[in-house]
Amino acid sequence: MARRVGICAVAQTTYQRDKWHERFQGMALEVLEPLLAQTGLDFSEDKGIGMSISVSDDIFDARTISDNGMTDVLGAHMRCEEKIAQEGIQALYYGLAAIQGGHVDTALVLGHCKESQGQSRNMVTHMAFDPFYTRPVGLDFTAAAGLQAQAYADRSDVGDTHLADIVARAGRMAQLNPATPEAPVLTREEVLASPMLADPIRAHHAYPVSDGAVGMILAAEETALAICDHPVWITGVGNCMDSFFLGDRDLASNFALKQAAARAYQRAGIDQPRDRFDVVEVSDQFAYQQPMWMEGLGLVDEGCGGAWIAGGGPDAMNVNRSGGMLAGNPLILGGLVRAAEVALQLMGLAGERQVADARRGLAHGVMGPAGQFHSVAILERD
Amino acid sequence: MDSGREDCFVVEGKLALPYQYFAGQTGSRFLTALEKEKKIQGVRCPSCDKVYVPPRSTCERCFKPIADNWVELKSTGTVTGFTVIRYAEPHQPFPPPYIQALIKLDEADTPLVHVVRGVGPSEMKTGLRVKAEFARKPTSTIMDIACFRPVRKATAAMGYTYDELEVGMSASFTKTITETDVYLFAGISGDFNPMHVDEVFAKQTPFGTRIAHGALPQCLIAPVLGMKLPGLGTVALEINTRFRAPTYFGDTITATAEVTEKLEEKRWVRMVLTWTNQDEKLVAEGTALVLPPVPMD
Repeated sequence: MARRVGICAVAQTTYQRDKWHERFQGMALEVLEPLLAQTGLDFSEDKGIGMSISVSDDIFDARTISDNGMTDVLGAHMRCEEKIAQEGIQALYYGLAAIQGGHVDTALVLGHCKESQGQSRNMVTHMAFDPFYTRPVGLDFTAAAGLQAQAYADRSDVGDTHLADIVARAGRMAQLNPATPEAPVLTREEVLASPMLADPIRAHHAYPVSDGAVGMILAAEETALAICDHPVWITGVGNCMDSFFLGDRDLASNFALKQAAARAYQRAGIDQPRDRFDVVEVSDQFAYQQPMWMEGLGLVDEGCGGAWIAGGGPDAMNVNRSGGMLAGNPLILGGLVRAAEVALQLMGLAGERQVADARRGLAHGVMGPAGQFHSVAILERD
Repeated sequence: MDSGREDCFVVEGKLALPYQYFAGQTGSRFLTALEKEKKIQGVRCPSCDKVYVPPRSTCERCFKPIADNWVELKSTGTVTGFTVIRYAEPHQPFPPPYIQALIKLDEADTPLVHVVRGVGPSEMKTGLRVKAEFARKPTSTIMDIACFRPVRKATAAMGYTYDELEVGMSASFTKTITETDVYLFAGISGDFNPMHVDEVFAKQTPFGTRIAHGALPQCLIAPVLGMKLPGLGTVALEINTRFRAPTYFGDTITATAEVTEKLEEKRWVRMVLTWTNQDEKLVAEGTALVLPPVPMD
């Protein structure tokens, strides 16, 4: 039996449209300092943090090897550092592997992103496509999401009003989350009146551009219990990478998410996922994704996301109490913020949005066009 | 914050890096054929039979090398999904709004993402038949297909294709044969035989009165084959008729054709023909061999 790995501390900045007053390093420092304060750890060679895992993206940061301007804040100067340039929740997986593998006892995970610095987020995600077949036709993640949203609309009961309700609820939830002070608060009518972006995705269905940073301290069980009163154990992780070309996939099938979830459930020893989670955080970059990913996770009946929304399912199942990505998180940090939110809930540190007696939660991350890559992490407390 | 935005220095930068990017041997062949020969090719996996577009060298499911199994594809296909792009970005191929669609080329298994032009967003639907329009100026990318445009049906809809026809399908046409018809037909054919046009003479024949030319009821099968079943676009290859009873002036004749056999090799269709009058008496019977309309690319 591999040793248990716990999340011992969580910190994040606020997520705002334009943190013009803060550099990447300043945002990261705002996260690092409370993590060190909460755990009492430092970067000393003998008893300090064993490795740092950063999360950043070269194109968002407009410099390649985007971690190398961050070394001093990451405790990476003269030390051990690794970078995740994928979805941030992969840093959790990486840290888990490093600690379970016995390489280190503690790991710092710290991601940053300033989406505001690029002229457009779509221009960044356009660069994820190949130069021969998919970039010339103008694809970016919003266009790919439009194709997926249409496919999902054809295959499910989710309609425009359900999508508006998802956005309106995200805004209400975000009011209780101090990390999302600028989350758009909208009525159903306002969402329904917003112009189409990529049919059936409306302008208000898309997650807002934001800047921010998030981090965690991970530790092996013995250390975790020594530095933290309420560690949250990572009991199952799984991911899956689907085909690159959109036409190779069945866009409404949730293939990769189902695989990722099955792998995470199996590792966490969960046979039937229904009703097993006190809190769920899914990466809803676009409104249609909240019910679609819930179906893919096996938590909502397939094709029935609309009925689930209409029946108050998100509240009943404590889905995205944080406001989710619709309240604003940078693209590459979405899944890591979801894991941070679940950890805060399980630690009992979720403030006004706290779900009473939350013991087990699920965090989901997604990257690539139209949900090409999915990650699922199961978190639990004793 | 102690200071306002005016104290913050911001560099206005731009990432721009001229580069070359090898398409790979398989991709090169696809892109070269597209540009030089206006040919769209896919690769077929010999194991699972799936035809991939864009091409690749290995089947992602079977792990079989497939780069040598080229399949030339038609430039027509069907829309399997779409969205309407309404936001503007510098990397887009057309000013918005435009339709981004997944298009499954006929004979391919993996839809291709491209742009459909020539159809309004509200008219757009999954299942739309489209055809590639090749670019005038090559770019050595998938934009050597400039866009896809809807395949417009001819104003009169074509009839049933070979694949759409089923044994047992039938259609008919009914018309009353008048004296006028017979006299016009005599003029058209030059057949002024007195049994058709001379009542005094006709009284001496076994029929006792004038009768219509046999070819007059017979030709009522033409509107059936050519305009109903298979319908517009049909070529009649052979019509055999055996006459069974006379057609008198004022008789109402129904000509019927029924599909009895599909000749797979030639993609021809054999039909059984019958002509009956108002008393359901068999006037004539026969067979026809037809070439049903062939869908145009």
